[in-house]
Amino acid sequence: MAASTSAAGPVAHHFDSMNQQHATVRLGMWLFLVTEVLFFGGVFCAYTAYRIWYPQDFDAGSAALNVGIATVNTFLLLLSSLTITLAIRSAYVSDRRGLQRNLLLTIVLAAAFLGLKAREYHLDYEEGLIPSTEMIRKMEKVEVVDPKTGEKSIRQEEVLVSKFNHALVEVLDREGYKGVPGKDYDPYRVQLFFMFYYSMTGLHVLHMVIGLGLLTWQFILASNGFFDYQSRYVYIEAMSLYWHFVDMVWMFILPLLYLCGPHTFDQAVHQFKHAIGMSGSH
Amino acid sequence: MSAANDKNDYLDYTPQTFPAPEPTAEQDRTRIHYLNNENTLRSWLLTVDHKRIGLLYLFSVTFFFLFGGIAAMLVRTNLITPTGAILELDQYNKAFTAHGTIMLFLFLIPVIPGVLGNFLIPMMIGAKDLAFPKLNLLSWYVFMAGASLFVWQLLVGGIDTGWTLYPPYSSKYSQNSILYAGLGIFVTGFSSILTGVNIIATIHKMRAPGMTWGRLPLFCWAMYATSVIQLLGTPVIAVTVVMLAVERVFGVGIFDPNLGGDPILFQHMFWFYSHPAVYIMILPGMGVISEVLTCFARKNIFGYKAVAWSSVGIAVVGFLVWGHHMFISGQGYYLGMVFAFLTMLVAVPSAIKVFNWTATLYGGSITYQAPMIHAIGFIVLFTIGGLTGLYLGTMGTDIHLHDTYFVIAHFHFTMVGGMMFAWQAGLHFWWPKMTGKMYSDFWSRLAAVIMITGFALTFLPQFVVGYLGMPRRYPNYPEEFQFYNIMSTAGASIQGLGYLMPVFYLTASLFFGRPAGNNPFKATGLEWQTQSPPHPHNFETTPAVYFGPYEYGVENGLSIFTNENGDHLPTDTTTPKEGVTSGS
Repeated sequence: MAASTSAAGPVAHHFDSMNQQHATVRLGMWLFLVTEVLFFGGVFCAYTAYRIWYPQDFDAGSAALNVGIATVNTFLLLLSSLTITLAIRSAYVSDRRGLQRNLLLTIVLAAAFLGLKAREYHLDYEEGLIPSTEMIRKMEKVEVVDPKTGEKSIRQEEVLVSKFNHALVEVLDREGYKGVPGKDYDPYRVQLFFMFYYSMTGLHVLHMVIGLGLLTWQFILASNGFFDYQSRYVYIEAMSLYWHFVDMVWMFILPLLYLCGPHTFDQAVHQFKHAIGMSGSH
Repeated sequence: MSAANDKNDYLDYTPQTFPAPEPTAEQDRTRIHYLNNENTLRSWLLTVDHKRIGLLYLFSVTFFFLFGGIAAMLVRTNLITPTGAILELDQYNKAFTAHGTIMLFLFLIPVIPGVLGNFLIPMMIGAKDLAFPKLNLLSWYVFMAGASLFVWQLLVGGIDTGWTLYPPYSSKYSQNSILYAGLGIFVTGFSSILTGVNIIATIHKMRAPGMTWGRLPLFCWAMYATSVIQLLGTPVIAVTVVMLAVERVFGVGIFDPNLGGDPILFQHMFWFYSHPAVYIMILPGMGVISEVLTCFARKNIFGYKAVAWSSVGIAVVGFLVWGHHMFISGQGYYLGMVFAFLTMLVAVPSAIKVFNWTATLYGGSITYQAPMIHAIGFIVLFTIGGLTGLYLGTMGTDIHLHDTYFVIAHFHFTMVGGMMFAWQAGLHFWWPKMTGKMYSDFWSRLAAVIMITGFALTFLPQFVVGYLGMPRRYPNYPEEFQFYNIMSTAGASIQGLGYLMPVFYLTASLFFGRPAGNNPFKATGLEWQTQSPPHPHNFETTPAVYFGPYEYGVENGLSIFTNENGDHLPTDTTTPKEGVTSGS
């Protein structure tokens, strides 16, 4: 091996052989993924603690999420795992066009995922599912007790309510959630669930954006044989390790956030159609 | 002249590989080494040479140490009088927070991995560079970006939460630069992770032929254990800081008691990193001490395997003791008992190291050059720091001592008495290798003695005053404590003087120092068997390793490399065992 590669060749200056370089790159990526497991592990751990303490609030929070988009995104991401694996094979057999095609497919699937995710965030924003301490004025029926006679009467009165609570109850009513606010769940506390929703999906999106950038870079480099078997195919393998990891994180996020509340198939279909503008209205 | 040139010369040690010939004065002038092979600014800022990156780290952490030291002097000066001598209350909070955060995140954590780890690990294992040279350079830039942001935020706004950043004060009430300072910590954490990945991959995959795990210098073992902690701990603090930042941005959040969130959860996650982080700080220091002691005692290390595996033991058990920071924070009583027990357990591997070091010294031919004085200082001071830690790890006594100056004294004995002295020992030990120049023997020994004296005067009174009940982080104190505080401040000034001295005599050595030669301390490690300063690729040819790392005190070490006719055994790296392939 050493004889076949010159000093200026694909074996970096500080390695003795291509085998050593490949093994080192693989080990390095695995070590990096260990840190990533701990990174997401921290937030999953906090999630678990609160889920145990407040199961009903998490149930309600999950019911307000868009499970339709999440389902479609799951399929997109799994498919991208397949295409990146095919890309390794292409690099391994030095099939440049196949490598470019598979990398491009992965890029398209990842971009589709991110597009749908952006749409989901936008819908959440429109529905007002953003944790905040903001209060809004609202007309509400209030039970008033006359201090002299002791008679009870119902009056319309302007009251201050939490903006988030108001939005959440509206969404849950629309989705047909059976729990009663204030009794089965505390709308204010559901904000905790949404903090986790934004933190976990946000960190996952961040990883996907970085991955998308790296994939695009590799796609550009792939055209001139940079990643052929005799040279740097191992970097495609390292990329796929990272990409599979991002998939794995989603495989945990999906049940923890989306599937922990009550959802139906019809609801999912309807939600997705609405998200992409195929159904008229709610 | 080196013994290596003359086969009749006597060596009282066996180097791990055959030493390179000592260059003549003429050769030394024309020789290409890592400092003179390229001279442009660009060649320094874009270098991927681990030795140059080590020097970049050296300059930057020294700069940050100066910053942290100024903050420390502000704090100590303010404590001269019971009502605060120079600072406003708010300024005092910012000064001690700046001291703590800068010293921990920007000095103690990166200093030995960044400088000595970078410089030495490839040389000690006989590699040309770390496994990922570009990643290594990136880690320096990431560190500088995060550190600059952090220091800038300290200067423009300051943070007043203490280095622990406990919510809800840090997330809601503190009106300072916590968000961007937190981002700075987050970014420097990534630098720490990248260095860890690099060092583990390097030790696994880049060892020279014959460098088995049993021949690995103990500094490498210690750095390996450190890197494991960096890999497993740092991401957790990163994600915790992210959650804290989210809470600050939204105004509500995960640790917010208003929503039913739990601030204690933050403390758990914070200490899950920050307790192992103290082992990130001390383990590399322990590695340095093993190298220095054996060399200056001219003895093989006592219990190589015990010292090596105790590093790994500290790394593992160190992850299971974080709760001893929270005995009075409201964590469960039985949980506290478990943590107290595990805390006793983590003292065991540290004790193994201390006993093995003293056993190494026993019967050795000890010389007291500057690195050795620092190393002996390390053992004494670290032992005091470690033993006082047991008081704090016991639930009953911790209730009395918690958040007092006893705690301050304890962790300064381990962090400064331990790590700072180990860093000085390492810097003085390998300075001739890094620069090719020898520093002043007199001034370096004097500085070591001044540092130890100043240190003891600063922190020994704090054990007393802490035991008497003076709480930490308070700017004011009862008048009867003033005597102890004046002693501390006087000691801090002496220490400050001691830390400034190396800046002068080490710099002076670059211009006026005599050439150090390849191996001024007659040490066995691979890094000493090449020239000083080393070749850009460390070794002219990949060295083959024949012996263990500490073969001191042998009959005639060099004779092992020659046959009965007095000829050198083949030292060409392509010939020996294990199917070596040369790089050419």
